[in-house]
Amino acid sequence: MRIFNRIVIILLLAGLAYLGLVMVVYVFELGPYHLQDLPNDLGVSGFYEGLGSYVGNIEKGNVGVLDIVVLGAIALLGLVLLILELKPPTPRRVRMQRGTYITRSAVENEISPVVEQEYEVLQSNVKVKAQRRPGAKVDVRASVRPGENTRSVQSEVQNRVQQYLAEAGIPIGNLKVQAVESDPRETKTRVK
Amino acid sequence: MDNDLQLARTASEAALATNGVYSLGTGRYVEAATYGAGEKVTGVVVGPDEVRVHIVVRYPLPEPIPVIAERVRERVASRSEGRATTVVVEDLEVEQDENL
Repeated sequence: MRIFNRIVIILLLAGLAYLGLVMVVYVFELGPYHLQDLPNDLGVSGFYEGLGSYVGNIEKGNVGVLDIVVLGAIALLGLVLLILELKPPTPRRVRMQRGTYITRSAVENEISPVVEQEYEVLQSNVKVKAQRRPGAKVDVRASVRPGENTRSVQSEVQNRVQQYLAEAGIPIGNLKVQAVESDPRETKTRVK
Repeated sequence: MDNDLQLARTASEAALATNGVYSLGTGRYVEAATYGAGEKVTGVVVGPDEVRVHIVVRYPLPEPIPVIAERVRERVASRSEGRATTVVVEDLEVEQDENL
């Protein structure tokens, strides 16, 4: 989000810098340029007149429902972008203790084989997110054959992963396991 | 600059001497190293306020990972001239059995 916000700000500042330069030239009437010709020269005379009448209507209190919705949506969008910009970024690494971290990929690489040790699991997909507090947020997706008891697999995998992580000492904030039925022709392992 | 390199070498030796450390990591997207004239120390990043050590832990684990990381942090911190010390566990490496 920060990158998106920065791109928006860079484009906005570039536009403002250009308009500021043009304004200086027209205000001081350097060369053949005059301030009253500015909207025509920029090719925005129609927009300028429309904007003038729109603002005039708002000042008089003639605001339509659609206008209120659009202005409200713009204000809300601005607020959302501001909050996202102010929000501290999610850390890249999983915090264990003060000053000690483990990379997300290391945690993923450790959990994946543990999940696949389960006889019914044909393939696993592990996603690890770091949190600001110690511990990782782990989402495990285990693919099983159609007809398997997904609830039992889910609980087995959950216990197995929790036990492994406790032994290894990797702190975990939230572990979510999902067992989904998949076509064995599309999974990493077809037969176990 | 030479001081940073010397500190990186010391931190590297201290980390590698810790039980449970297989090797030093190299970083994932950006190389984790301290650079000097014609030399670099991989696995340790010495900054003005921080010393960051990237380690690869040996498997089977002699102790839980946080304990190993904390031990490395303590060892490096005592040599880091007051800079904050951070330890990053990059990977786990299965130890090869030479008898196999």
